[in-house]
This record gives sequence, structure tokens and C-alpha cells, in this order.
Amino acid sequence: MSILAVGSTYALLAAGIVIIYKASRVVNFAHGELAIVGAYVFHSAGFLTGATLSGLSLLVTIAISAIGSVLFGVLIYFSLMRRLLGRPTFVAAMVTIGLAIILKAGIVVIWQSRSAGIAIGRQPLFSFTGGGRIAWIDLVSILACVAAFAALAVFFQYTRLGRQFRGAAENPLLAAQRQVNINLILALAWALAVFSATVAGVLFGSRSMLSPQGTIVGMSGLTAALVGGLDSLRGAAIGGFLVAAATYLTARLISPTLAETVPFLILLAVMSWRPWGLFGTVEELNRV
Amino acid sequence: MTTKSPYLFVSYAETNRVLAEPYQRVVITTIAAAILCMPLVAGGYFLHLMNLCFIAVIGAVGINLLTGYCGQLSLGQASFLAIGAFTTAILSRRFGMPFFVAIPVSCCAGAAVGFVVGLPALRFRGIYLAITTLAMHYAIIYVLTNYQAIVGPSASAGITVPAPSLGGFTLDTERGWFYALLIVAALVVMFALNLTRTYIGRAWVAIRDRDIAAETSGINVPRYKLLAFAISAALAALAGSLGAYFTTVVTVEEYTLELAIVYLAMIIVGGMGSVTGSVLGAVFITLLPFAVARLFEALPWQLGTTAFGIQEAAIGVAIVGFLLFEPDGLIEIYRRIAVYFERWPFRYRELKAGGG
Amino acid sequence: MSEPLLDVRQLEVVYHDVATAVQGVSIEVAPGTIVAMIGTNGAGKTTTLRAVSGFLPAEDVAVTDGTISFGGQSLRGMLPHQISRLGAVLVPEREKLFQTLTVGENMDFSLTRSRRSIRDTVYDYFPRLAERRKQVAGYLSGGEKQMLAIGMALVCEPKLLLVDELSLGLAPIVTNEIMTILQAINRDIGLAMLIVEQNAAAALRVASFGYVLENGRVVFKGEAEKLLTHQDMKEFYLGDRGHGGYRNIRQYRRKRRWWG
Repeated sequence: MSILAVGSTYALLAAGIVIIYKASRVVNFAHGELAIVGAYVFHSAGFLTGATLSGLSLLVTIAISAIGSVLFGVLIYFSLMRRLLGRPTFVAAMVTIGLAIILKAGIVVIWQSRSAGIAIGRQPLFSFTGGGRIAWIDLVSILACVAAFAALAVFFQYTRLGRQFRGAAENPLLAAQRQVNINLILALAWALAVFSATVAGVLFGSRSMLSPQGTIVGMSGLTAALVGGLDSLRGAAIGGFLVAAATYLTARLISPTLAETVPFLILLAVMSWRPWGLFGTVEELNRV
Repeated sequence: MTTKSPYLFVSYAETNRVLAEPYQRVVITTIAAAILCMPLVAGGYFLHLMNLCFIAVIGAVGINLLTGYCGQLSLGQASFLAIGAFTTAILSRRFGMPFFVAIPVSCCAGAAVGFVVGLPALRFRGIYLAITTLAMHYAIIYVLTNYQAIVGPSASAGITVPAPSLGGFTLDTERGWFYALLIVAALVVMFALNLTRTYIGRAWVAIRDRDIAAETSGINVPRYKLLAFAISAALAALAGSLGAYFTTVVTVEEYTLELAIVYLAMIIVGGMGSVTGSVLGAVFITLLPFAVARLFEALPWQLGTTAFGIQEAAIGVAIVGFLLFEPDGLIEIYRRIAVYFERWPFRYRELKAGGG
Repeated sequence: MSEPLLDVRQLEVVYHDVATAVQGVSIEVAPGTIVAMIGTNGAGKTTTLRAVSGFLPAEDVAVTDGTISFGGQSLRGMLPHQISRLGAVLVPEREKLFQTLTVGENMDFSLTRSRRSIRDTVYDYFPRLAERRKQVAGYLSGGEKQMLAIGMALVCEPKLLLVDELSLGLAPIVTNEIMTILQAINRDIGLAMLIVEQNAAAALRVASFGYVLENGRVVFKGEAEKLLTHQDMKEFYLGDRGHGGYRNIRQYRRKRRWWG
């Protein structure tokens, strides 16, 4: 069961990476940091609205975090990524690496590297006889993941804005000439990505303690996105669950310390065997 | 102001000259004299910082050859440094080898590992290449972590390395290290400068700019890519090896992905594709955290751990700032100033290679 | 003489602060007409077109002088999507469509409810596109790609269509087919067009007015018939040296005079 819950977290992270990649061909290396920052913001917002996270205070906390993450995504786009339009995409990727450093240091500065937890939804929903438990939050994770992916799939495939997204990713100047406001599209992509990162971060924080080291979860998200294919949402979902399953099984059957390195081993395997991922388009490889 | 056009050469010897303008010779001589005199006037702390800079210069030149000249974006720098450090540690601690054996062997080990890392990287470009090197980095670090857990006194204590000694003379003073590292760094820089002026250097630049065109021009692209990986890793191993001797302790925990990014930051800030840029960038990034710390000491209020966070952030800010506003790095700033004086009163200057 | 739809005066475009690609070019497009810009490589035609449509690459290329006025409004400094919304739509020379999207998705890219009928009309003009609606655009033939690029631009409801070198890489018969369709569109709905071409004969067949550019300057202009019959045009652009056989070829090329 926890594979499904952890998998949905990774899938959401991977989705955020894929959205930005689909829109601008940029690999966002700061995604893990964005998720943890979002989770810390949720945690602090929770303190502001009263120490217990339930009912009205929960809704307010969610609202604050949601709006904050969307605004932050737009801010990142307009202040940083916008100036890199027209430059090679690996330059933008390096800027996201710089952003990751700044965000991680920001966590240390603002939250003093205090570990924090998000105690919501830990109550068990029902228990199995073998001692397994399903908590509310696990169910919420899975439902959130399913809902998010369904919405995104419909958006990209069937709506005009989604089409413009994909066109703008391939050829921004042409899309601009065809009356698409590129800035709007890319700002939307970043807003969606930071929002989904925050959701993933909150779900992550409900299971593990938050700390600046937690940003390593971004690696699992990136691995999941690569496994599935950087430009495929379907791949992001499946990749997330695959990585979660592999990590869990390794921890259970082989050794817990090896389980930490599982995402990187999967990364190595994917890069060697099928670099464009399970569902990615092969041409992507040369375009980058 | 020169009376001759810098584009007009009347002999082959002139095209090969490293320092073309008379003012450049003056600048280089002044800097060289200043550096040589430093240990006579500066304190131990300052010399220590300079030593760190020298080691960083060696590593930065290495990664600039790979990423700046050959265009292979690599995140594996930290693992190459670790290979150099660990090989030196093993050879000098377990086998008792003197430094003049351990260091070259470490370089060869680095070259071999670089070659191996370069093999899967031959298929990719850009981001996928970076991710492949990232995966290899983690694989190497994993192996070294296990080794350290087995061999070291405890899992995270690391391996101690004795100071290098030759005959009765041991290298353990900041001043001694200063001269030793200065010589090595100067040799490395000259080696790199020469390398970039040879066919190899031009082949690398051709691969960086248009590898398909390079291949059709008859350049053996896989061979030169692997050569770039090997040489870059050898230099990084050299830096790691010297670092191991300098700090006398080798722990795998210090060779993180952040370290690889710090080296990338050095060449971004200094200027990719320029050996001088590597030097400038290495010095800038190495001294940056100390400068930030000094800055905070001067401020009236106490910051505690947040100062550490801001030091970390400073490198990220440097990366983002330079990429956004000065993508060609510090060396470009220098060139702009130099060209302004060279070409005055004309405004135009030669176009950047690869522009337009 | 009515107000020209597009009025470019003394345009100057400079690359990298150093190389002047377009020096003082003045071009007018009257409403409902097809105007051709002829010239060899490097003459500045594509640069002029890109300057008009805001399609200049981001770094280091600047419009340093001149005015560009479209329907009375100045286009200088406007962003590409704003210019496009005003009605000046460019079909670029390279990167002219979305290769990863299907033909249908390309055509529907700028679709709004009111433009559905326009899109269907475009499919009528280009029946080959209608047949291949589900095909990924990257796999079309060269001629079909060009048709799709033009069709996509037409769905944007342009008041002025700017076409950049559509004959590049196309067989002459395909070029003629597309030019004929453009002429038909111009006749049926009165859409003004500015066509940039190296293939002077093909362009002047459909255009009513033409400009000849060399080295960033307009060296000649006139009605299409005048261009087609002018001696210099015939010798240097239309391939008709009037020598009557290879035996009579002169060993030298006379200097262009551009008289009469």
C-alpha cells in the first residue's frame, strides 16, 4: 500500500518536471527543493492558522499554500527563466541548478534547518490483519495523483491551450507568430509545476520528517520522469510507481541502505538501455 | 595604443605567440612577481586560501577542457576528484608509496575512470549527457562509500594521508605548499593553454559547436570526446590527490554533487572555453564563501547559522547571476575592457566565435 | 492612390552592431495586392520580412532606423504575437510548422470559434492537407509542409500574409501549384501578400508589383510586367540572357544599369 502512496508522490513530482519540459524543453533540477520549500510553507502556514490542522484551519492552510505556490511559480518564471528564452536549454537547466542551491540555502536560513513534520491525515482508515495500515493521507495521495494526471492529460491532448503548450515547447518563435502569448504559457507551466511540487512535498512531509536534506527526493522525481520519458505525462505516472516499487522492494528484500541508491541505479540503467524512457519520443534525444 | 592591426600577421611565429600585445607581457610579469612575493608578506591564513585556490584552479581547468572546450556537460567532477583522492590515500597509506608515485598513478586512475564514464556519454548530448554523468557519479561514490566503511576506522572517519615527503624534506607548511602548488598549477595552466592551441583543442571546439559537422570533416569524434573525458578526469584526479595530501584526510562525504556544481560554477563565472577564465573563476568561487563570511563579520548584528546558509546561497546567486547577465564570464568582462583600450577610437571588435 | 496597407520607409537593420543587412529599404504593399521581393542570397529580403513581423532572433539584431507602418500603426518594438494579432502574419523560411503535432493540430493551433469556417475554407484550398489530418507534420513531404505552413498562417485571419521563400527545396511543379493557390486566394478574398522569393519568375507570375533587392538596398521596383521585360532583370534574375545559344555567350558579364 505504501508503494502506491509513495509512488503517487513521485509521480506528482515527475509530472511537475514533465510539465516544464513539455512547455520549454528545460529540465528543472530545482524541483525537489521546490517541493520541500512548499511543504515547509504549508507547515508554517499551519502554525499561523492554529496548531491543529483540521477543518477550517486546514482549508485556510491549503489555500495559502496553493496560492503561494502558484505565485511563486509565476515569480520564478518572470524573474529568471524569461530572460533565458532563445538561449540553449542547458543554460536554463544550469540556472535551475543555481536556483536549487539558493532554495536549499533559503530553507536553512528561514527555517533554521529545523526538522518539521506535517501531521495530517495520519489516522488509519482501516487496518489489515497482517499489521498493514492505510491512513487517510495515503488515500488522499493516490486520489490527488489520479485526479491531477487525468486533468493534465485532458488538458494537453484536447484543449487548445494544451496544444499551444506543446507547440510553444517545440518552436516558441513560431508559436508567438501564431498569436500565442509565450509568456503566458510558460508562466502557467511554472505555476502548475510549483503547485504540483508543493502538493507532492506536503504528501511527502506527512510521511517523513522535513529537512533540507529532504530535497534529495527531487532525484527520485527526476528519475521517475526520465524512466517514463521526459515529455510524457503517462510515463511520469508509471515511472513514479516503478521507482517507488523498486525502492520499497529493495529496502524490504535486499537492504535498506541500498534502497537509498536505487533511484540512481535506475537512472544508470535507464540511461544505458533506453534513455528516452518508456513513453518518451525518441527524437527528443537529439533535440536537447 | 598599438600601431599594428591585431589581425595582420607577417610570419608564422607571430600567429603562434601567446602574448601578442606588449601590455599583456607587462600584466603577466606584474602578476607573476606579485604571486611570487606573496609568501614573504602574507600570513598563513591568506596563504592557505591561496593554496585552496591553486587546487581549485587545477580542477577547474580540467572541467573547462571537458565542458567549456569540448562541450560535454558533465556533472561527474566530484567523483573524479574522489578517485584521485582515494587512490592517493590507498597508495600512500596502505602501500606506503611516496608522493611522486602516488600522484601520477592517481592521475592515471582518474584518466581510466574518465574514459569509462565517457563511454556511455558518447551517445548523448546536453541534458541527457549530464544526467548520464550524474548517474555514473553516484555509482562511483557508492563504491567508494562502501570501501570507506570497510577500510576506515569507522564508517565516516575517512582515511588519513601522511604529508608528502622526499628524503628528509616534508611538505607541511603553508608556505611550502604555496610554492609547490603554484608550480603545479602553473604547469597545468600552460599545459592546457598549449593543448587548446593544438589540433586536439581545435577538434574539441569543433565538436562543441557542431559535432555532426566535425565528424564529416574527418574528426574522430568518439576518440576526442573520450580524450576530453580522460584528460579532464586526470586533472581532476590530480586536484583531488593534491587536496588529499593538503588536508591529510580523505572522506567520501565531501565529494558530493554540490562539489561538482561548485566546479561548474567556477567555469560559468570565469568563462567557459577559456583557460584564463578557469583560473579567474576558480579563484572567485573559492574565495566567495570567505568573502561573504568576512562581510557578515563586519555587519553589526549576529547571524549564526543563517550566515552559513547565505554562504551556500552565494554560489547559487553567482551561478544564476552570471548565466543571466554575463554568460561568457569574468573573462568576457576583461576582454571588453582590454578591447576597448586596444581598439580605441574604433568601436568595433572581432565577432565572437560562434555568434551570428 | 489609396493608403498602402504596409508602409516600410528607410528601414535599417544591423547585425551584431557591425553588419548592416538592410540599408534604407522602402517597400509598400497596397491592400489586396501581391507584392514580390526578389533578390539573391544575402540581399536582405528575409531580414526585412523578419523585421516587419517581429521575428528577429533575440540577440544582437536591431532595427536601427526607419519606420514600419501597418494599417497606420507602427510595428517597431512590438512583440511577435502582438504584430500577428494585428494581422501581419509571417510564414517563415525555416521552422515553419510544429513538427511534433499532427496536421489537424497545426491547423487548429490558432483556432477560435469564429475561425472555424476559415479553417474549413483553407482545407478546401489545400485538399492534400485535409486528407492527412491525422498525420504527424514532421513526416509530410516538402510541398505538403509548405502548404500546411501557409494554411496555418491563413487560419490566423491575416490582413497581410508574409511568405518567406516558399520555393526553397520544392520541385518547380509544386512551387507553381502553391503559387497558383496563393493567387486564387488573393483573388477570392482579396488578401494582400508580400512574397519573398529567389525564384523571380515564379514570384512575378503571380505578383502585381515587385521590388528587387541587392546588398540591402532596393535597386529596382515596378509593375510585374515591367520587371518581366526589363533587360537587366532578364539577364540577371530570369535567366534569359538573350544570347540565343551557348555559342554566343560573352566571356564577361556586363554591369547592371537598372535604367528604364
